[in-house]
Amino acid sequence: MIRRYLGLLAALAAVRLLARLIAVTAGVALVVAAAPVSLVAALAVAGAWTAGWPPRRLYHAALWCLPMVAVWLAATAVAARSWWQVAAAPYLAWLAMWRQAAAGSVVLAAATIAPAAIPLGLLVGALAWSRRIYAMRTGTGGLSPDAPAVFDRRQWRHQVRSARARIAAPGAVPLLSRSGAIVTGAVIRAVGHPAPPLAAIPYRRLRSHQVVIGATGTGKTTLLLRLWAGFLARGLQRHADGAGRRPLLVVLDCKGGADSRRVADRARRVLRDAGARSTAIWPDEASLSLWALPPPQLTTTLVDMIEHGTGGAAYYTDVMEAVVALAVDPPTGPPASAADFLARLDAGWLTAAYSASPDGEEAALLRSAFRHIGDIALRFRTLFRRLGEGLDGPGGFGEADAWYCILEGTSEIAVAEAQARALVDLLASYSAHGQGSQREILLAVDEFSAVARRLPIWHLYERARSLGLAVQVSAQSWQGLAPRDDDRYRIAATADGGIWLLRTPHPEPATGLAGSRPATDTSRRVLGAALWSREGSSRMRDEPVADPAIVRSLDVGQAAYIYRGGVTFVQVKRLVAAPAALAREPAPAAGPAPGPTAAHPEPPTPGGQPRAAPPPDAGSLLDEAFGKEPG
Amino acid sequence: MVPGPPSPAAAAPAHLAERDIAGLLFVADMYGAQLDQVAAVLGVRESRARAITGSWRRARYAQSARLGPGGPWIWLTRAGLAACGLPFAATTPALSRLAHLRAVTAVRLALEATSAYRAAGAFWRSERRLRARMGGRVGLREHVPDGEVHWPDAASAGWAGECWAIEAELTRKTVARTAAIMREILTRTGDYGCPAAQVRVAGRPPRHARVLYLCSPAARPVVARARGAVGTLGARVEIRELPPGAGLPPAGGAEPPP
Repeated sequence: MIRRYLGLLAALAAVRLLARLIAVTAGVALVVAAAPVSLVAALAVAGAWTAGWPPRRLYHAALWCLPMVAVWLAATAVAARSWWQVAAAPYLAWLAMWRQAAAGSVVLAAATIAPAAIPLGLLVGALAWSRRIYAMRTGTGGLSPDAPAVFDRRQWRHQVRSARARIAAPGAVPLLSRSGAIVTGAVIRAVGHPAPPLAAIPYRRLRSHQVVIGATGTGKTTLLLRLWAGFLARGLQRHADGAGRRPLLVVLDCKGGADSRRVADRARRVLRDAGARSTAIWPDEASLSLWALPPPQLTTTLVDMIEHGTGGAAYYTDVMEAVVALAVDPPTGPPASAADFLARLDAGWLTAAYSASPDGEEAALLRSAFRHIGDIALRFRTLFRRLGEGLDGPGGFGEADAWYCILEGTSEIAVAEAQARALVDLLASYSAHGQGSQREILLAVDEFSAVARRLPIWHLYERARSLGLAVQVSAQSWQGLAPRDDDRYRIAATADGGIWLLRTPHPEPATGLAGSRPATDTSRRVLGAALWSREGSSRMRDEPVADPAIVRSLDVGQAAYIYRGGVTFVQVKRLVAAPAALAREPAPAAGPAPGPTAAHPEPPTPGGQPRAAPPPDAGSLLDEAFGKEPG
Repeated sequence: MVPGPPSPAAAAPAHLAERDIAGLLFVADMYGAQLDQVAAVLGVRESRARAITGSWRRARYAQSARLGPGGPWIWLTRAGLAACGLPFAATTPALSRLAHLRAVTAVRLALEATSAYRAAGAFWRSERRLRARMGGRVGLREHVPDGEVHWPDAASAGWAGECWAIEAELTRKTVARTAAIMREILTRTGDYGCPAAQVRVAGRPPRHARVLYLCSPAARPVVARARGAVGTLGARVEIRELPPGAGLPPAGGAEPPP
């Protein structure tokens, strides 16, 4: 009995082995018989693996071969004049290919079979590549349980390499696509989004709120410059076509310092290449007039620019507001400059201004606030001294295509807060009342939370939304978006234009907004050391659409774009601007040298103001050219 | 008024003498120039200058037209600017700037005619060159002078190595505005077109050793008051009257005064 049972087992094993051998032999025979198709399929899979392509690209390639197949069949029909021969053309080509190969004409054989073998091979390769990816995604492929993870990491590397190669080709990444979308770079990988070779976002998304998060040195500025240039280029294009209003870009860089000025210079060069006629750099080279605000708004802005307390101090705030309102909106009209305004914060001036109605409400207010006027004047004098002349005009947002406003949020926080408040009020007023209603405005704020104590960023968001402004908030981290977590979520959740994530150590809150998708987990049975059975079980689970681990490990210049439950990983293409002109090298700081060099511009004083020593007398030359100096 | 474009047959490659090249570069630098001033640059009579500029026109390097009072204006076409290797946009001199352009050209001619200028081999860097260097990056509050004169270090003059800013003032601005421009020019440390952070750097020597104001009688008092308003910086401000021939001739006059 036992012998019979063992015999049966041996017979079953032999049958199984035989069946396996037959299947393998049949498979090998098929591969050899269809050698051209097998070869193309193998090359397609190898190419897709190396470049990290999705299977869709192989399907597309196979589809693009159809015209070639059609021409080939048409030529066969014309030559043979028989539908049977057209139907049998692939088979006949296959036979001819073998005959020619046997005769040693390998090239001719390849040319004969190519019209049939290439599309079929690409199709087979696409199916095989799909199957491979599916097996790896579900955990059923590979020789070991960690093979899917290794496969994914390797594919990411291949995809990054392909994307970098794509953007390295000169002219391969235009600023705008043919449809007018803003091209940001090459797609590395897409989940829940289409995966074309180039990543492009429609212009309307830049007309919605966007959020950009990325640590220093991750390529955030490069991405922002590209988005700004794209906004202006496409906006100007639409304006020229009569399809939209003229674009206006306003950047509030709330870091300040030399770095901000370098970025400002780069932005100006990039924006000029994108079509901007002029980029104003505030406050270094351009000014705005706070006094262009309507009197009620000017009063509110002036009061909000001054630091004031709550509780008992609120009384003084009310007094200040009353006095400022009296100075801003007297019967003689609003002030035209800071000096004019400060001159009005004087009891005598105010009394004279409202002397026409000594029993009026204003006069009563004036009498109540009489003893505080001097203190209020002192506070505003201090404020304007610290603010500088950047807000004292002349100038307005309408005078340039782009404004790059530098706020010293790092070194002069109180001043920067006041400036931020004033700039936002000016922009809001320009947008609501001035010619700004005829502009499509993008307000980009970088590290705004540093200066948002007096103007909560959520308030800015709401105001911008009501005025039709698009706001692009950028920060170095999730925490940098806003001081409170509620505000952070509100900002990120209302970013209709999408969220850009560069490398950041804590991406989870933002990636969580992309949602999750169903994924399959497969377990395998361990048979022994390094041996894994093909048997196991699978279960469904949810995995994040935007993998935080990938975001955390992004390289410089890589970004994840989260939009409507999908994510596209992009290798951002840097915009190359015209080079900056170089400043003349300073003269050596040595003391005055004899001879001609002594006439070089005089050394500056320590305060930076050049000493005004009289230069050598050039009177003889000037007299010869233009005559004597008029008395 | 405007001579028609030359026929294609006439548009032959120009054979340019050294004098032509100097004249073309001068006209390109100054946006455009009137015939009498071109004649002064070329060192010929006006009738000869007319023939020379005609040859420029035939070569499609220049255009000419009577834009305002006085003789015709000559300016370079895109082909002319390309031949000169200058990266300027080809435009007709703006009517609103004709008087100013003529005044600046007259200042340059007067300065270049002096023995000290020729001996030193000084270089006039025109406003057009400065603006081209800046691209479109002229800040809204940034002022570009009408020209710069660079004196080589090797010159024997006392002002060797200096860079002067030239301002031609025909009309009266406010004293405050004029003083602000003076202060801006005199405190600037960076070249035009340099990064914003280098425009005014504490501790660096000023770019312009002095600023030379050439004023019309109307503008002179304002400029003088502005010089007083800038304090010690005013020691580096020279004021002179515009040279003869700097103004446009009165309407109806055929030629500008000599």
